[in-house]
This record gives sequence, structure tokens and C-alpha cells, in this order.
Amino acid sequence: MPFHLTDEQEIVRASLRQFAETEVKPLAAQLDREHRPPLETIPKLADLGVLGMTIPPPYGGSGTDYLSFVLALEELARVCATTAVMVEVHASLVATSILRFGDQAQKTHYLPELAAGRLIGAFALTEPGAGSDAAALTTRAEADPDGFVLNGQKIFITNGGFAGVFVVLARTSPAVGPKSISAFLVDRDRPGLSVGEPERKMGIRGSSTVSLLFDDLKLPRSALLGQLGQGFAIAMSGLDGGRTGIAAQALGIAQGAYEEAVAYAKQRVQFGQPIARLQAIQWLVADMATEIEAGRCLVYQAADRQDRGLPFSDAAAKAKLFCGPMATRVTHSALQILGGNGYTEAYPVERMCRDARITEIYEGTNEIQRLVIARSALR
Amino acid sequence: MRIVVAHKWAADPQEAVVGADGAVDWSRARPAVSEYDAVAIAVGRQLADASGAELVGLSVGGPTAAAPLAAKAALARGLDSALIVADPALAEADSAVTAQVLAAAVTELGQVGLVLTGDCSVDRGARLTPAVLAGWLDWVCLAEVSAVRWDPTGLSLERESDGGWQSLTLSPPAVLALAAGAVYPPVPGMKDVLAAARKPIRQLDLGQLGLELIRAPLLLAAAPAPAPDRRGVVIDAMDPALAAAELVARLSHDGLTWEGRP
Repeated sequence: MPFHLTDEQEIVRASLRQFAETEVKPLAAQLDREHRPPLETIPKLADLGVLGMTIPPPYGGSGTDYLSFVLALEELARVCATTAVMVEVHASLVATSILRFGDQAQKTHYLPELAAGRLIGAFALTEPGAGSDAAALTTRAEADPDGFVLNGQKIFITNGGFAGVFVVLARTSPAVGPKSISAFLVDRDRPGLSVGEPERKMGIRGSSTVSLLFDDLKLPRSALLGQLGQGFAIAMSGLDGGRTGIAAQALGIAQGAYEEAVAYAKQRVQFGQPIARLQAIQWLVADMATEIEAGRCLVYQAADRQDRGLPFSDAAAKAKLFCGPMATRVTHSALQILGGNGYTEAYPVERMCRDARITEIYEGTNEIQRLVIARSALR
Repeated sequence: MRIVVAHKWAADPQEAVVGADGAVDWSRARPAVSEYDAVAIAVGRQLADASGAELVGLSVGGPTAAAPLAAKAALARGLDSALIVADPALAEADSAVTAQVLAAAVTELGQVGLVLTGDCSVDRGARLTPAVLAGWLDWVCLAEVSAVRWDPTGLSLERESDGGWQSLTLSPPAVLALAAGAVYPPVPGMKDVLAAARKPIRQLDLGQLGLELIRAPLLLAAAPAPAPDRRGVVIDAMDPALAAAELVARLSHDGLTWEGRP
């Protein structure tokens, strides 16, 4: 399926390329080294309209199509995977969940703040005992006369260290099954919410990944997102679009590593010639280029299906299943081309190698993507 | 009043490849709004906002200049509307021809008080177009303008060059070529990109302008490659001590270290 970007999508890509090169890339190594989120980039991303790409103009967003958003993620990840995932979780998982399932008051209250970057969103699904088996979560929201009381624990919550609002999935019925889960909008300043220390991770080290503890946290009824018992559907809906976003992140990481490898191969001289002239290197480069292009087709196709209102769960899962491992392969090939230099922090490829690996895990592991795809294929 | 920004849809130098012999390979460079012209658009936006003027983009070129992407990319940077003069006869237009067509288009637009250009075009870099355009229009032309703003008597300008610094005032109409560093042009935001699709774009060809082109006296056949300022020597940094020693040895060999302190 050939892909021709619209003029607007081409300009979005060019704008994000310029922004990423000038504002994001210079920080990437430092964020990684210091395990520090790119807080200083948030106002700039908001001014550019990136944080509100999934939010319609009436709510203060720029309201682009999803493919444009995916292009933005790809360009950000090309230089800094940490910045890309911060935007992805905020604008895709959180903003689109509120947009699709929120009532008018919730949309009016939260979406303009999210678009302006005054509030950053986080999505709290995973628990110590509920990772891939998301429906096994044990965090409880028990109804009381004023609303709900939330108790439980979440882990690996991206953006959690500085998010102002959390979409929290919790069990509202002891019954087994997806309809026993509901979604809530939890403001950071609610008494009863404790935020844990950031995880020390292998990659995307600048991304804030924390645990959350809810201890008799009281929520008004107005904090319920969607209908009672609709939480699992909200989570799965968010994750579908999110998977395309993470696939785009993986694609961008791969593209960045590929460009580093090509540039290095052209200037690195061994045996009296640039190593780009050696067939061993050429074959690596050819495979990398082919894999990236294949991944790009899958990612853009998934985003395009979403834009056209077509079912896209299967396409998003395929894009993520392909692009995650692809990014791992491509970044490792890039490191191989850079040799000893690639193994050092003097070059960004070692960081890209570490960053790529998570794209095979979060927002659904490779194995979960296969489950989604197989269910669709064998339906 | 209208403020016109002349801009060029030209190969992006960021994507050009410089060979070992200094030759520039433009074949894989995609076109973009010239980075110099982006400065002129940003300054034009400031002046238009301060005066209530309409900011019109004007681009002249071959058929590629007529691509909607070309106009939208410029409009996304803050123009109110765009006028494109695209004609096969202009595909290889030099500065003199370009200036002639720009002048005709400015006259066709009417009510233009100011024409802004970038410092130079990214591909030819002749720096002639503003002056020749001003000549056609019989207007004042100032180049290397580093700052411009409205004041009660007209325009207040600053110019910086190797020779020093000037503060000037002038009354429009005028052609101003903005220095490359006059402002840092903002990256088009997402709302700007979407708004660009709704802005008016008008397109003319040479016939509609009723223009007979002058003969091009400024054809640039070739430009010598600049002398290489880099040797392309890569020192293996696996062992920092050895790498440092090799660097010092090379600098010493070239007489670039202080005597007695290699």
C-alpha cells in the first residue's frame, strides 16, 4: 500500500524535524545521563502545538490527524526516545481517552490544560500482579455516598513523577471480567496519593517511571471517566492508538540509529577506505534501510486506518510487533557499524540501543501483540 | 498597505552532500522554504502585526514553485496569502530575471509599501535580487538589515556589517534584504500548518503578467569549490591517551602548538 503524505503532513514532519534537531537533540544525552525528564521542553512542545495534536481546536488543541501525530513522534524519537514517549502517553493515551469517553465537564476542564502543557497526563494501568494480564488488576474503587474510595498500587507509570492528572484503572466490582473495571481521573493533589521514586531503567532513562500508591483516596462521582464498568474498554481503546504511537517511537529510534551508522560508515576509514565501501557494511545498511521502510509502511497504515475511522487494532498490533524488534535489530546493527565507538557514550547509538528495547515491552509486549493479531486472524 | 516577502522554493542545503572534492551534490536535496527567506517572513510578520498590513508571500520560479506544498510551507510560517508566479521559462531564472518578474508581480498586487527578502538565495547566493528588484521598482534598497521596526516617521532600521553598525530611518516604499541573523525564525506550529491550508493562494504565469523577459546577463556557469578547510582525518579514540598523543603530534607537525609545549 503506497503512502503519499499530504502537504500538511509533509510540513508537520519538516517542522518537527527542525524542532527536534534544535530543541530536543541537544538535551537527549544529558537527560539519559541524569535520568531526568525533559521538563524544559514541555512549554516548547505546547507552543508548537504538539501536546495538543490529538485534541480538537474547541478544546485548545491543534487537532491534527493521527498520522501527523505519528510523524511527530517519529521525528522526536529519532533524536530522543524519552521525549517521544512523554508526548505519546500524554497526548495519545490520556488526552484521547478523555476526548472519547469524558463528559463535557471533564473535556472542558482537562483538555485545554493538557493541550497547553499546564497539565501533563499519565495512564495508570499496570500493577505488580497485573501487567500483560491487565484485567487482573486489584486496585479497588469502592463506592461511598460521596463517590469512590480508591485503594491499591500501580507500577511503571510513565510521566508519573510530574503528571498533574492520572487516568487510573480500578476494580469497581468484585466480579471477574472486564466489566468490573472502571476508569477515573485522579488529580495529583488528591490526598491519599503517594508517588514513588523514579525507576532506574536500562533505557528511556529520562522518562519518569514511578509507582503510585492510593490510600483511601476519595474521589467525587465526577471523577469517573466514561461509564461504570467501561474501564477495560477505555484502556484497550487507549492502548490501540498507543501501540501505533509506540511503533512510531520504535521507528524513529531505528531511523536515528540508521542515520548515525550511515554517516559514520562514510567517514570511518579502515583498510585505506571508508568502511561504507566494504560489502559487509553495505549489507548491514541495506537490511537496516529495508526494515525501516517496511516498519514505516505498517505504522503509517495503522495511523491512516485510525484517521479514516476503520478498525485498526490489528494494524496497530502488527506495526508494534514489527517495529519494536526491528528497532532492536537496527540499533544493534548500527552499533556494530560504529564498532568500539558505538559502545561508548560519545556516540548516541548505545543510548538508542538501550532505548529501543522497551518498545518490545510497554503498551503490550510482543507476545500480547501476537495474541491480538492471532485473534483477529483466526476470528 | 501590503508587505510582500519574496521567498524561494529551493533545494534544502541541509540535505545537500558535499563531496571530498568540495563539489555539492544537490540531487537528493528536497526543496524547502529557504532558511534565509524564513527570516524575512518572520520579520514581515512582526511588521505586519505592528501596522495592520497584509503580509503577502511572493514566489517566482519554474513549475515546481507552483506545487501547493511550496505555498503552504511558506504560508505556515505566518504569511496571510501567497502569490505564485510559476512558468517553465522561469525554471532557471537568474537574479536579474527573477527581480524583473518580482517587480511586475509587486506592481500587479498594488498597495505594496515594503518588499522584504532574505539575505540571499540558498542555491545561487548572488545577493543581487533585492537591488535589481528595487531598480525595477525605482525604490530604495537596503541590504544586511539586522533590525527593522515602525516608528512615527516611517521605518527605523539597523544594519550590521564587517565595516560597522548603522542606524537609519526611511520612508516606504523600500526593498529590504534581511541579514540572516535578524531574527531566529520560529518553527511552524501545528495550528499554523493547518491554518495554511485555508489561506488564499493566487497563481499567475508570465502571460498573465504580460511580461517579456529580459535576456539573462548573469548566467552562472560554475563556481569554484572553496578550498577545503578540513582534512577529514579521523583519530581513533578507543585509547584516549594514544588519541591525544596523535592529535598533539599532528598539530605540532603543522606548527600549531606553542614552542616547548607540544
